[in-house]
Amino acid sequence: MSIVMHKPKTKWQKRKEMIQNTWKLFKETKVGLVGVSILIIFLVMAFASFIPPILDEMYIPLYGSDPDIIGVTTPSLRHPLGTDFAGRDIFSQLLEGAKWAFIIGISAAVCSVVLSVVVGLISGYYGGVVDSLLQRTAETIMALPGFAVVVVVGSILRGIGIWSIVILISLFAWPYASKVIRAQVLSLRERPYIESARVSGASNFRIIFRHIAPNVLPLTFLYMAFSVANAILVEAALSFLGMGDPNIVSWGMMIHWCFQTGHTYTAPFWLVPPGLSISLLSLGFYLIGIGTEQIINPRLRKR
Amino acid sequence: MPMLKYVAKRSIEIVITLFIIATLTFALFRLMPSDPAGLILDPRSTPAETARIRELWGLDKSTAEQYLVFLRNMVRGEFGTSFFSNDDVYDIIKERLPATLLLFTTMILLSFSVGVYVGRLIAWKRGSKLEYGSTVVGMLLYSMPFFWIALLAIWIFSYKMGLFPLGGMKSPEVWDYAAHSGVFAKALDIGHHLILPLAVGVVTFFPGVMLMMKTVMIETLGEDYITTARAKGLSERRVRDEAASTVMLPMVTDLTLSLVWSFSGSIIIESVFSWPGLGAKFLEAAVNYDYPVVQGAFVIMGAVLLVAILVTDILYAYLDPRIRY
Repeated sequence: MSIVMHKPKTKWQKRKEMIQNTWKLFKETKVGLVGVSILIIFLVMAFASFIPPILDEMYIPLYGSDPDIIGVTTPSLRHPLGTDFAGRDIFSQLLEGAKWAFIIGISAAVCSVVLSVVVGLISGYYGGVVDSLLQRTAETIMALPGFAVVVVVGSILRGIGIWSIVILISLFAWPYASKVIRAQVLSLRERPYIESARVSGASNFRIIFRHIAPNVLPLTFLYMAFSVANAILVEAALSFLGMGDPNIVSWGMMIHWCFQTGHTYTAPFWLVPPGLSISLLSLGFYLIGIGTEQIINPRLRKR
Repeated sequence: MPMLKYVAKRSIEIVITLFIIATLTFALFRLMPSDPAGLILDPRSTPAETARIRELWGLDKSTAEQYLVFLRNMVRGEFGTSFFSNDDVYDIIKERLPATLLLFTTMILLSFSVGVYVGRLIAWKRGSKLEYGSTVVGMLLYSMPFFWIALLAIWIFSYKMGLFPLGGMKSPEVWDYAAHSGVFAKALDIGHHLILPLAVGVVTFFPGVMLMMKTVMIETLGEDYITTARAKGLSERRVRDEAASTVMLPMVTDLTLSLVWSFSGSIIIESVFSWPGLGAKFLEAAVNYDYPVVQGAFVIMGAVLLVAILVTDILYAYLDPRIRY
């Protein structure tokens, strides 16, 4: 008989194991896996957006135009999805749109989720006046028609840049996740381990970020996925209404151009691809969110 | 009486929110880079003319004074006149609001009925093909930008198949030219125009309700009291009803949130379908820098929404026996 000595696991080994376990669970959810597959396809598109402009100047999404073509043409070998009203290649615009969808979606999601986590943690942990002040603010924002406010701001400032749009989207998106995180913190705060941390002299800052925050992290990831999809859809709607940033090519902007120049009913090769892309990419992010939800909340898993 | 007290408390909160909305509107328009008088005046107008317009609009007063005047006017329902048509903003809103209310009340009611019913059903038939199928379709519809669905629907059903009008709410041949059109013919005409925007709205809106209903329902079915109900030997139907009654609470919260969303939704859907409602007017005014109309529409829509939210809140308190304010 031999005695096996278990070496204590290092912090990183534990973390690696945890990630592996989570990934295993995630793979079992199937929906999550479908979501990741969709994501990868669009990531490839986003990275491929750099290629067409290198091949030929006419493939530059915003400024390039085919010297032999004026206006809208149906798909051809040279332009797999045809050209738009200015003779610009629709396929390279679609790739460029994928790039911007990721940039807009992820940056808006990061902003809003960071905001909702910080507010949720502070509000739930401290309670009292701080809590009610933050919660009233959140509720007021939830009661405002955010999209309409952005339209008004866009109109007053005569068009706003993409980063302002991202910030405005996050400002109106954070309260929803924040409420759930706050509720979670409220219950975590009462757990014995928090009490023992406090007794052993941990500061509030340390308790919040070291002992409570890691426990709301899975929830954060869930809202992150949903926020990305939401941001992509909101930006698309804004651009479609002509309130987007005219200096970037987003999928919503492509549909706006198609609608504005009156090609909605005559050029399906122009109308369909950007809309389908918005749908699929946001579906991908929603599915990842649902997959995460099933890991966090085992009741939702298949029996 | 506690209910009355609750309603009073919520009403005060609503007035405060409305005040915040109004203040926000006022503040937003002070972000404007240029002088509003310069917007509609001929660039060649003399300084004296400009000064007269500025005085007429109260632009020569201090910001604080303008704010007080603004609040007084809002309370009185005086929103000024449109920069473009010279019509009274109040009249414009009065003319436009019914169309929006017609479209959106039917849409929200229909979406919620369908969503709650189907969601309940598929939660019950968990693991079946029906559940799988409706979840996939629901997710897909949920992820689609609905202006795009609207464009596709107009293209297929109106442009290609000619089943519905391309947009608008009334046909001129029924409303303006034929003096003998009866009430019935007029109602039928509006109904004909209503179907497509309503269908697009419901199709994009009910999946969210359905998926939410499914999730809460599944969670509830795992609760102890459902096991108890089953153990008591209640019929499946009774068990389902028992579960559904508690599930309605989060659904009412969802309804409140979707009411807020509906103003944003109306901007998009009415613009695509040229539906003569407040949302379309709001966008048109925003694009044309017709600020009095934007301001008025914003505040009125906010007021309508807040009252609707109050109603759902009362409904919530009524539904939940645990909550007695």
